[in-house]
Amino acid sequence: MSAGAGQPDDQDVAHDYESLLQFLYLAPVGLVQLAADGGIQMLNPVSAQLLMPLSRDGELTNLFEALGPVAPDLRLQCSAFAAPQGQVCDAMRLYVHADDRNGGPQVLSLSMLKLGADRLMAVLTDVTMQDRRERQLRKTDAWLNAIMTNITDYALVSLDRQGRVESWNESIERVTGYAAAAIKGQHYARFYPDGATTEAQQLDRLREADENGWTLDEGLRLRADGSEFWGSAMISPLPARADETSAAPPRPSDGDPAYCMIIRDISDRRDVSENLRKATYSDHLTGLSNRRAFFEAADLELKRRQKAVRPVALLVIDADHFKAINDRHGHPGGDAVLAHLAQTMRRVCRQVDVLARIGGEEFAIILPSVGQDDALAIAERLRAEVHRTPATYAQQAIAYSISIGVAVMDDTLDGFDGLIKRADEALYAAKRRGRNQVAVWAPPPAEQP
Amino acid sequence: MTLHADLPFDQPGLAALLDSSDATAQDALGFGVIGFDDDGLVQRYNRFESQAAGLRAERLMGQDLFLAVAPCMNNFMVAQRFADARADHAALDDTINYVLTLRMRPTKVRLRLLYQPGANLAYVLVQRS
Repeated sequence: MSAGAGQPDDQDVAHDYESLLQFLYLAPVGLVQLAADGGIQMLNPVSAQLLMPLSRDGELTNLFEALGPVAPDLRLQCSAFAAPQGQVCDAMRLYVHADDRNGGPQVLSLSMLKLGADRLMAVLTDVTMQDRRERQLRKTDAWLNAIMTNITDYALVSLDRQGRVESWNESIERVTGYAAAAIKGQHYARFYPDGATTEAQQLDRLREADENGWTLDEGLRLRADGSEFWGSAMISPLPARADETSAAPPRPSDGDPAYCMIIRDISDRRDVSENLRKATYSDHLTGLSNRRAFFEAADLELKRRQKAVRPVALLVIDADHFKAINDRHGHPGGDAVLAHLAQTMRRVCRQVDVLARIGGEEFAIILPSVGQDDALAIAERLRAEVHRTPATYAQQAIAYSISIGVAVMDDTLDGFDGLIKRADEALYAAKRRGRNQVAVWAPPPAEQP
Repeated sequence: MTLHADLPFDQPGLAALLDSSDATAQDALGFGVIGFDDDGLVQRYNRFESQAAGLRAERLMGQDLFLAVAPCMNNFMVAQRFADARADHAALDDTINYVLTLRMRPTKVRLRLLYQPGANLAYVLVQRS
C-alpha cells in the first residue's frame, strides 16, 4: 500500500502543530507544568502575564518561588500531598493586592493537580472582579441570615445618637442579664469584651447604619455577670420623627432614641460560622488572619478613616535569620517558631487588632485608632517579649528574634499599599541596623534646592 | 532602507530606523521585531520572532497584539507602558527584563519598548538574554 490518503503529510503536521501552539498561546487561563520542586517546565502566555508582576528577580524558573509572597504554604501543601495523583488545591484564592494604579489583577485563583511523582499542573486565573462581587454578596447573605434565621431570643435596645443605651426593657435583661440601672446611659460597647472594639469603631458602626440603613456584626459579647456568648448585632437608624408643621426634620437632641439595636444570642450557630470563617480567613499554621482577611480588614479600616480621620498604624514583622533556623532545626522547627511568634503577637495585642501572616516568615498587625508613639511601644513590647521567651520544638528551646517596621497612615498616602511600603522600608532599616529591633518609617530628607 | 543583520538591539534611534524600513528589511535582523499600530493591531512580525514563537507572520497580521498575539505582555509592565505613552504623547524607549513563553518554554528575554508620537507603528523588540 502506498503512502496515501490516511497518512497526514509533513505539511499537515506542521500546520496542526502551529494551530496547537496558537491554541495554547491564546488560552485565556494560565497553564503551568512544573516538577515536584516547583521548577517550571512549560507555561503559556497568560501564566507569564499573571506571574511576571509577582516575580521578585524578573525570572520565572520556579512556581513556588514566584508565588512565595502570596502563597507561602504552597510548597508544603504540594509536598504533603501523599496520593500519587489528584487535586492538591482547587480554586484557591491568592491575594496579590498589586498596586491599584497599575490596574493589575489583585486576586488570582490557583488550582493544582498532581499528575505524578515529579509532575504537577497548575491553572491560574484572574478572579479580581469575581472576588469583588462575592464580597458584596456575602454582605447581603449576612443580612438575610440575620433576618431569616429562627430567632430563639433577642434583645431589642434603643440607642441615642452617641450610641448610649437610651431605655431599658425586659428583653435586654433576658439576653444580657443587665438590670435597668446598670445599663441605661451606658455606651453599647458595654456588651463587648475588653479590647474587642474601640470608640472610633463603635461610632463607625453608627455612621455605617446611617448610610446603608443597617450594619451587622458578629462576635463575642459580654453578659452583665462577665460570661461571654456568641452574638450577632444589627443596628439600624430609627426614622426621624416627622414634624407636620415644619419642612425640615427637627434635629434630634442628644438623648433621643436614634438607633435600634437587635442583639441575638447565636451561640448554637457559632461552631458552624467559626469553622467556615477559619477555613476562608485563617492561615493554616498559625491560626492568624491570612492575606485575604488582612487586606479586607485593611480596606475596611481605610474606608472608615476616610469618613472620620483617626490614626491607623501598621507593624510589619519579620523573623530574623529564619533560613538559618530552618537549616538548623528543620522545617518543623521553623514552623514551631512561626507558631510561637503568632502566640506572642496574640498575647501582646488587643482583640480589635488585626494579626496576620502575610508571607513565609512575614507577619503584620493593623492597629486601629493607635498613633505612632503607642504603635512603637506595642512593637517594642512584642520584640522584647519574643526575645525573652524562646520557642520550643522537640524539647529544645529555639531562641530567635524579630525585626519590626512601623508606619502610620497619613494624608500623603492614598492607599494601603503605600502604608505597607513604608512599614516595609522601616523593617529593612531595622534589619540593616542589626536586627532584633524596631524602626519607624521616616520621610526621606528634603532635597536641597 | 536596508537594515544590517548585525544591527545591535540597543542601537540608539532604532525607532526611527524601523519606522523607515519595510517588513523584508526587518526580517534580516537578529532579534524579534513586533510592530503594531495605534489600534494595537500587529502590522510587523519579523522572521526572527516568527521562528522563535513557531507561528508564521501571516497568522498574526492584523490581530490585536495584547489580546490575540502576546497576552503574556498584557499587564502594567508592557501593555500599560504603551497605553500611557500614547495618552501622554510621550516618547517611550525602555528596555526591561522579561520572560516569554516561546513554544511554552519559559525564556528569559530583554524587551525594548519603542513608541514615538506621530510614528506609524510602535514596536516591541525581543532579544534572548
